[in-house]
Amino acid sequence: MTTDSTSTRRSFLKRGAVLATPLAVGLPAAVMADEGLKARLARLEDEAAIRELQQKWLRRINTGSGDRAASLFARPEVAKFDQTVRGIVPDLSGQPDAIEVAAGGASAVGRFHCAVEIAAAIAQDCTLAQMAHAQGGGFVRRTERRVLRVEYAKTSGGWVIAKVEFA
Amino acid sequence: MPRTPYPNQQMHRISYTKLSQRQIADKLGAVAVSGPTSVSPNSDVFAGKSIRIVTDKGPALSYTFGRNNRVSVVENGSGAVDAGCGTLSLNGVVFFSHMIPGTQRGYAVVIDQDTNLATVFELWFSGYQDNREVQREIYYGYVEKAGQQPPATRHVTTNRVEGKGFYWKQDNGTETLEFYPSAAYSHFVELSRLGGELGFCGPSDYIKINDDVFIYTRTECEFSGTFTAYVMDLNRVEQIGMRLGFDASDQLEFYVFRGKGEWLGQIAQFEQFGDENGAPVPAAAAGQTPAKGARRVYRPFLTMPKMSKAEVDATCAKKTAAFAPASGPGAMMGGNRGPSTGWLAGKTLTLRYDNAPAMEYRFDDAETLNWRKEGDNNWTKARYQAWESMPGVILFGHLLEGVPNHDGHSIVADFHQGLVTCFNGYLNTPYFANEAGVKTLFGVIEMEGLIPPKYNRHHFTDEMVGHAVSQNYAPGLTSMHLYSTPHSLSWIIFTDTDAGGLEWSGPAAYVKIRDGLYFLYWLEEACNGTLGTVLVNLHTMRDVGVGYHCGAEGLSMSAVGAHERLAGRFDVLRFYQVKV
Repeated sequence: MTTDSTSTRRSFLKRGAVLATPLAVGLPAAVMADEGLKARLARLEDEAAIRELQQKWLRRINTGSGDRAASLFARPEVAKFDQTVRGIVPDLSGQPDAIEVAAGGASAVGRFHCAVEIAAAIAQDCTLAQMAHAQGGGFVRRTERRVLRVEYAKTSGGWVIAKVEFA
Repeated sequence: MPRTPYPNQQMHRISYTKLSQRQIADKLGAVAVSGPTSVSPNSDVFAGKSIRIVTDKGPALSYTFGRNNRVSVVENGSGAVDAGCGTLSLNGVVFFSHMIPGTQRGYAVVIDQDTNLATVFELWFSGYQDNREVQREIYYGYVEKAGQQPPATRHVTTNRVEGKGFYWKQDNGTETLEFYPSAAYSHFVELSRLGGELGFCGPSDYIKINDDVFIYTRTECEFSGTFTAYVMDLNRVEQIGMRLGFDASDQLEFYVFRGKGEWLGQIAQFEQFGDENGAPVPAAAAGQTPAKGARRVYRPFLTMPKMSKAEVDATCAKKTAAFAPASGPGAMMGGNRGPSTGWLAGKTLTLRYDNAPAMEYRFDDAETLNWRKEGDNNWTKARYQAWESMPGVILFGHLLEGVPNHDGHSIVADFHQGLVTCFNGYLNTPYFANEAGVKTLFGVIEMEGLIPPKYNRHHFTDEMVGHAVSQNYAPGLTSMHLYSTPHSLSWIIFTDTDAGGLEWSGPAAYVKIRDGLYFLYWLEEACNGTLGTVLVNLHTMRDVGVGYHCGAEGLSMSAVGAHERLAGRFDVLRFYQVKV
């Protein structure tokens, strides 16, 4: 199931499916509608939790504290993200964010169009480069439009990031 | 008796004593009680008065000023301590300094009587691994006035001093040229103490009192560790300040001074318009809280590899590389060198130097040559690269494998004039064997169809002295040269906001090749040991050259090339004329 965070199109389709199902199974329509609403509520709650998790991680990246984001990840070893990335902001000229919660609600995948600030370190093989690093610089900066693909997993403690990469 | 103004050793060659805390305490003892000396009469502006200074993130200091330079100071409400204090004033701005007897701490305080704003420098010894290096923390605040609200503003760090330069003469006779080409460092030439041969650098603070009056500090890190601070009025070109530290003989200097100067000019700033931020180099890494007194300090002598002759011979035998591929060590310094030339390919010539053996060359192709010293039978093959900076003027360089001191030649040959200049780099120098030395060789080109001059030669010049030229070697690698003396230059590294950041300097020389074309070198003595050579073309504003370096990774010669911008000029030549 894919949900478009800025569109209710799929919600509408789901509602349509919910409305169509009771006739087939012979259950009272009110009961089926109630279950559909519960499922929708659960999905919306999952999406909200995932968005909050995503925002937390982005804040860590954008404040230079990405190395202290291990608690947001399923496993500490996958928390290490591309060290050249210094900032990630939404690319509002790209596609809307998309979060797809898997059936059963135990995992999800998000795709985020974003502008990525990359700072590639200059090799410290000459005096000038060494001095540039010594003053906190020594990087070549550029901004690229990329798509961030993030896999999430639901644990007993809530949603965590299982994998993050550029598509 | 004849007498010269030069010291036995320049600052970067002095082996400053590692003073112990006990030694420092002993030397401070009596002076802390008596206070700083002063040639000029101390100001009595505060005599008989009491003031309380409140700082935002620092101490509250209560002072009661007596006569004869005595002061009673209370820190944060603790017990009063009597100390000697030097006080000077300059057009409503008061500067005073004192130590706290029995400690290795003291203060320098600036008060603007018009605004009641105060800047407090807490100073201390034994705060770094080298105890003699004075540490400082800056606090901003105000003088408390009964019945008045605290002022809303504060003195602030600024880049408004960046690009300025002054000649200063203190009341004690000390003469200096002081350049502020960075917002975080400064460059100074000691005219009276050291004879003005070389310039040196130190981390600095620049603080705005008002549009005309600023506070400057400098700590001579990597050298004596001496701290200097002064208030300067840019229009009147007057200063009041202090100096605290131990000189090369470990004698304590603690004095306040008054000085007058001359404006030397203004060079360019490269920050965006509207950017007047000071302290462009953060004291700590992003996300970290700086420790008290923290600042970024370039410590090249501390960090440079120091090798023996045996180690140099071993590393040169292990790896020697000339003009490694574009991704190799030092490649970024050649990012904007432009296309090389193959003009020398197939040619045979002799470079006949006046003061060194003639060098014979056979150029196989655009990157391979054979050389031998005149009189030798055997040729040695070497990799080279060449660039034609101006029509008929070719710079090329190569290593001389097999010679005892692992020489490298950086050569500018003017085929229109038949003249050649060679910066002959070599190793096994007296202080550290991997530190490059250089000999400048002048001579002529002998080759078929070319008649060289009999008497004319390239020559050393001071035409570039005082100029500042920025270099962009590659994306993210940008600096500026300040040609501050006839025998040294300084280089400034720009920050991400294009403010001047860390700065250092070394011995240098300048040779005029043609109008607007200068061949120069600098030595990174007590700093990586590199010999840098560039041919600066003021017509095209591009420099090209070669770097010669020996370190643990081996001996290398690599291309240097940058796009340049003329950043202005200081009027300093008059200070370097021979005086009789």
